[in-house]
Amino acid sequence: MLRRLAASSTGLAILLTALPVETARRPRYGGMLRVEIGAAVTSLDPAVATANQEEAAAKGQIDSLIYDTRDADGTFRGAGAFHLTAFESGKRAVLAATEDYRLGRPFVDSIEITMGRGARDRIVDLELNKTDFAEIPAEDARRAAERGVRVSRSKPDELLALVFLGGAEPKRMRSVDLRVREALALSIDRAAIVNFILQKEGEPAGGLLPQWSSGTAFLFSTAANAVHAKELSAQIVPAPKIVLGYDFGDSLEQAVAERIAVNAREAGIRLTAQAVRPAVENAADARLVRLRMQSTRPALALEDFMDALGAMAKIEATGLPEPASPEDIYNRERAIVSSYRVVPLVWLPRVYGLSARVRDWTPPGAGEFWPLADVWLDALAEPASEEGKQ
Amino acid sequence: MTFRTKLFLIFTLALVVSVGLVAAAVTEVTRRAFDEMNRQHTDALVAQFQREFAQRSDDVVHRVQGIADAEGTVRMAIDLSRPKGDVSVYVNDAAGVAKAHQLDYLDFISNDGSIISSAEWPARFGYKIDWVLQPEDWAARGSFLMKVDTQEGAALALVSVSRVRVGDKDLYIVGGERLGREFLASLVLPAGMRALLYLNLDPAFQAANLIDSTGPASQGEQFASIVEKEQQQPGTEIAKINWTADAANAEVFHAMPLVGREKELLGILLIGSSQHDAVTLQRQIMLLSVGVVSLGLLLGALLGWWGAARVTRPVRQLAEGAREVAGGNWNARVNVRGRNEIGQLAKAFNQMTEQLVDQRERLLQAERVAAWREVARRLAHELKNPLFPLQTTVENLQRAKEQNYGEFEEVFHESTGILLAEIENLKNIVGRFSEFSKMPHPELASIQINEIVRGVVKLFEAQFGAVGRPPITPELHLDDHLTVIEADPALLHRALENLVLNAMDAMPSGGVLMLRTSSAEGGVHIEISDTGTGLTSEECERLFTPYYTTKQHGTGLGLAIVQSVVSDHGGRIWVESEAGVGTSFHIELPKHPPRQSVSFPISFDYEKEKEKEKEPEPEKHKQEA
Repeated sequence: MLRRLAASSTGLAILLTALPVETARRPRYGGMLRVEIGAAVTSLDPAVATANQEEAAAKGQIDSLIYDTRDADGTFRGAGAFHLTAFESGKRAVLAATEDYRLGRPFVDSIEITMGRGARDRIVDLELNKTDFAEIPAEDARRAAERGVRVSRSKPDELLALVFLGGAEPKRMRSVDLRVREALALSIDRAAIVNFILQKEGEPAGGLLPQWSSGTAFLFSTAANAVHAKELSAQIVPAPKIVLGYDFGDSLEQAVAERIAVNAREAGIRLTAQAVRPAVENAADARLVRLRMQSTRPALALEDFMDALGAMAKIEATGLPEPASPEDIYNRERAIVSSYRVVPLVWLPRVYGLSARVRDWTPPGAGEFWPLADVWLDALAEPASEEGKQ
Repeated sequence: MTFRTKLFLIFTLALVVSVGLVAAAVTEVTRRAFDEMNRQHTDALVAQFQREFAQRSDDVVHRVQGIADAEGTVRMAIDLSRPKGDVSVYVNDAAGVAKAHQLDYLDFISNDGSIISSAEWPARFGYKIDWVLQPEDWAARGSFLMKVDTQEGAALALVSVSRVRVGDKDLYIVGGERLGREFLASLVLPAGMRALLYLNLDPAFQAANLIDSTGPASQGEQFASIVEKEQQQPGTEIAKINWTADAANAEVFHAMPLVGREKELLGILLIGSSQHDAVTLQRQIMLLSVGVVSLGLLLGALLGWWGAARVTRPVRQLAEGAREVAGGNWNARVNVRGRNEIGQLAKAFNQMTEQLVDQRERLLQAERVAAWREVARRLAHELKNPLFPLQTTVENLQRAKEQNYGEFEEVFHESTGILLAEIENLKNIVGRFSEFSKMPHPELASIQINEIVRGVVKLFEAQFGAVGRPPITPELHLDDHLTVIEADPALLHRALENLVLNAMDAMPSGGVLMLRTSSAEGGVHIEISDTGTGLTSEECERLFTPYYTTKQHGTGLGLAIVQSVVSDHGGRIWVESEAGVGTSFHIELPKHPPRQSVSFPISFDYEKEKEKEKEPEPEKHKQEA
């Protein structure tokens, strides 16, 4: 954006007066932006399937730098701000700036993407100034910031929710009583999850859309009601036993699932947290899922969520009217939440760690990619040596 | 059973009892020794457990105190003592600290009792643990057993509490070490012993809560009764568990309760002692005892049999001699040497038999003399009566001749008639004596005694109602089911005939003659009764004496003949009489008379005489021949 503003002197003047003193220096071209990601992208060929959601997301991020536009079906097209100069499957990719990019040459000369770096390693590298940009888990943001890492947060646009599995998958034709689902939903202390597990990153979720998007999220209660939960669970004899599945590689989901188990136990519900692997049969009655908003528009975001949850949670795929009013969206959201088949837990922001020399970084909005073509590297904050990364 | 057999059995029994008692005593002593050894092992193991427990308690206390004293903990306490202290920062700290200090459990607990961070159950932050807020000097308390809730379930732990106080706020550190199979594995157990731990985490017995050093104990349900007893009344309990039917596989368990801070039962230490060695040794002793007993019995039996034979041989010889004497061989002698009681007895026996023979000889001689005297007396008496008329008649005849009476012829005829009559009388007398001396031996034949009785009665039927004499009424009470006996019918007929004649003579004024037959033990019983004047006791005593008679013209041989016949048939005869009522003769005859019966002219039944003395009925007499 800065790069586009620089093309006009009026815009530049506005920008210079608006920016803080330390960032109000003139952007410069050059330098290599060092990026670390957790996923290991094995191929950039669109025809090659990705192993998981994380790899798909990372592949999309790289594609967004290489290609210019994306069709409605998600297909990338056109020549992007960067072009691929080197690729080592699952390890490393190097992108060089496209000099004749139609929207102007990117500030940085190149981007080096190191793949397969764990969250802890990424934070350490940020601390040691060995990388310029990395996405870090929300629950680690506070500790990373305390350790001197420059942290940037997006708006909370990722929903962590508990979903009772429906009948779409024949082997999971489990039916947990509505009172049990309600009791479990009431027993969950979302504030404790946010404060302790997420270390105060994100916010408790009562509805399917965040407050900043729908403006009605405050109408959904996020407070726990252990007493009522206990009363409800006491009505069901024998006490049901619920298995709550979580992604085996997701430490956040594991911590949340275990906390939910504690809350449920206090409410008299026997709930066991169990790690599950994709494509491996399991005995879970419910699952923790992460749902990332693909649009800032609430109607579209809700439609996306309903598409994702419909099969999983056996939710009626009734579409929203076109155009959908805020009331329509709220009612639809309320209907889903009241079924207690989907229990919203928390809204998570995307958290990025930045080195000191990265300038003009703006966290992407919901459904947007990393705007790395807009950032520039401050020469005053250059790392002592870049050879170590080669 | 012979004396020898009895003696042998007594020897054998004494031997069995003795050896059995010795074996039982040895077994009992061995068992007690093993029990004592097991008890000592158990005590040692309990002491070892207590030492290990105390050592681990100290370790836990020191480690928890070390955490409390650590810089990080103090900083945490300071941070949390601030008005806006944020506990969420420390939510993940416990796990790392616990790992660093090798603790299984660690909780950081805030001033209000809320869990700040938990190593054993990280997701339990925010929940309260109230007991830690109770007023107690945790430093003085040391470590204690506690039931700890973990993510995997409840567990038993050795726990210590430390407190860090900053300002007016406390930070509690609760750390502990799991009391489980690792702890049991650390105990050094003697061979044949093992230690188990029951985690009393549930109200009812749960077999899964019983562990040993390798994990859950097998066949844990067998311990239900021990555990339940401890749950009801904690205390030292001893119980035996038979794992199989084989007693060698049994184990004796000593249960020791493990209590918590509030004296609640949290665990039970079970120290098991295998009974294999003890039972095996006991079996070996038992086997050896059985062998010794068997060998001892065999030797004892042989020695007993030999000893019994040696001891009983003189006794048997004495018994044999006594039998011979009883059988009539008064010359029997016992050849037993020795100066012991048996030898003295044999000597006395021999002396006794010699004296018996001597006395018998003298008795026989005396009886013979007496008999000859009696015969001489009777002969004198019998011959005297005819001789006097003969003498008188001859003198009358001489006198008539000398005086030349005209009636000499008449006197001669009369005198010769008298002489002939008296000579005939003398011949009769001599004939009767001759007949008595010629009593034949019985010619045995199978007879029915009732037929003999009927024949005798029929013989006298004419005389019972003869004209000119008072009538005699015969009454027959004959048992139709009498057994057939072997006897001489002629002799019996003659004997019964004599008795009937005696009865008729005893009833000169008429009366009832009753003849009764009945079964007797091993033969028949015949009773002939009259309703005559009866006999005196003196008469009864002498009744069967030859030539004794109460009749004016009797020879005194009738009843002697009867007695002789009965005796020759192996039977016996006795008389019962009551003055003024009548007399009854009783005869008992065996079914099979002996081949050669010894007859005595007179026998005297001492027992019956004694009975008579006991029942003094002067008018009723009984005499048995």
